[in-house]
Amino acid sequence: MGGQYNHLIVRALKELGVSSKLIPQSTSLEELKVDGLIMGGGPHSVNDGLNKLGRTPEIIEGCTFPLLGICLSHQLIGKVMGGEVVKGRQPEYGRTLVRVLEADDIFLGIDREFVAWASHNDEVRKNGGRFKILANSEYCDVEALKVDGRPIYGVQFHVEVADTPRGKDILNNFTKLCKK
Amino acid sequence: MGSSKAAIATSGGVDSTVCAVLALRALGDRLICFFMDTGFMREGEVEEVRAMLTSLGLPLKVLSVNDRFLRALEGKTDAESKRLAFRDTFYTILGEAVKGEGCEILIQGTIAPDWIETSGGIKTQHNVLEQLGVDTMSRFGFKLLEPLLDLYKDQVRALARYLGVEITSSNRQPFPGPGLLVRCIGAVKEDKLDVVKKATFIVEDHLRQITRPPQQYLAAVIEDDRTPAGKEIDRILSKVHDGGSAYYLAGRATGVKGDDRAYGKMIVVSGIEKEPKDLFDMPERLVHADREIVRVLYSIRDNRAKSARDRRIKRYFVIVRAVDTRDFMTAKPSAVSLSVLQEIAKGILKDKKVAAVAYDLTSKPPATVEFE
Repeated sequence: MGGQYNHLIVRALKELGVSSKLIPQSTSLEELKVDGLIMGGGPHSVNDGLNKLGRTPEIIEGCTFPLLGICLSHQLIGKVMGGEVVKGRQPEYGRTLVRVLEADDIFLGIDREFVAWASHNDEVRKNGGRFKILANSEYCDVEALKVDGRPIYGVQFHVEVADTPRGKDILNNFTKLCKK
Repeated sequence: MGSSKAAIATSGGVDSTVCAVLALRALGDRLICFFMDTGFMREGEVEEVRAMLTSLGLPLKVLSVNDRFLRALEGKTDAESKRLAFRDTFYTILGEAVKGEGCEILIQGTIAPDWIETSGGIKTQHNVLEQLGVDTMSRFGFKLLEPLLDLYKDQVRALARYLGVEITSSNRQPFPGPGLLVRCIGAVKEDKLDVVKKATFIVEDHLRQITRPPQQYLAAVIEDDRTPAGKEIDRILSKVHDGGSAYYLAGRATGVKGDDRAYGKMIVVSGIEKEPKDLFDMPERLVHADREIVRVLYSIRDNRAKSARDRRIKRYFVIVRAVDTRDFMTAKPSAVSLSVLQEIAKGILKDKKVAAVAYDLTSKPPATVEFE
């Protein structure tokens, strides 16, 4: 997706003892023989830059393995699942306080409120989307989501950066879902 | 690379020094090591680096080329055009030097954040060429070899320890390739360079000694050219910090917002006397009021002259930046105490060219660690 932090995802997974590979967004669902997939952030907007996001929308539509979308990919999941993506009323750059609403699988064992680093102009609105809101913040209503009936998650903040101290635990929770 | 000779470009910083030691172990006397005195180095740095690299056994050649850089940068104020002019001058000179030694290969200590930020269009790092599709052979006359390409800063430090070499620079402050050039915000002038050189020395000298030094600390300089920020900002200040006022500086600084490059405004908050750590929520509030802001600065001491004539003498504004970070991909402002900052400001203001000193309260994102 072209995000600067995507290499940090690989690094964090390596530190968790999980082997991973960075693949281009042009990869098709059929080519993907994986236990789980993480889709990172990037500079585009899902509203006017959908053509720059490769085959990721169809992966979200059709995948059966666990999927975690971060930042831009979180927004893409929200959109593909029938929600809305809009310019944030208060964009978040840097520190934000995430409030967990549903201590679902990826937030297992995480505090109800934790510090996270975010960097986004757009944000997801539920508006009938087929997902559940797992977390929010003062400035953003959908900080995390889970798609109804499928192991697909999205986080608006960056779990892969060092300034999100619990980020690695969230990633660890996600990788555990992949091993089942 | 067969049995050919190779050159390495080193700045004396951690990345390139670790890379040079690695190359020396692999190539022995087939290596030649270049160090460029660009004129944008810190006080005493050229001598220090020369001594350190020599003590590591590196076959060193110093290129004194500051005139060529000053000429290349004349009249340039935009951050990206400054970085591009620096890069082209840098590699033209290196290309000549490499050819002069009869080499075809240039090794350099590029690390992950360098090319990630450049490819992402955040800023052009001076040492990133191939990832941008620059054909170094036809343009500058050498092939590039970059062994540290996948490492982050903390991993390079670990490699330095693993190599067991005493690299004094691994404990020194990270310093960008273009050096003080990117801390001279806007136009490069000799008197402005002099201000930032002295201020950098004072900042490093003070912050090195505090109990928990920040990961990186530095000084930057810009013309003291102020515009009041207006009622909306003042209203926010009086609401959240009972008072104070704010003004914009005329220059622009680099930032990163939503994974994209930002080149935006700097705002200075003054008339408040609080510990910096109690003001760390200020940037998000002000950025919400004006989305073009990428930096929020906290005025520590202001000696601005009353008369227009004196303002022509006290013409510069110095910014102190200190951050805590693991890998420089994200960073937060360091909680340096107000008393330490006031001491630093007092020292910097001894330079009669300086009108005021401020502390940068902005995290990365929306700011970057460096200013351009």
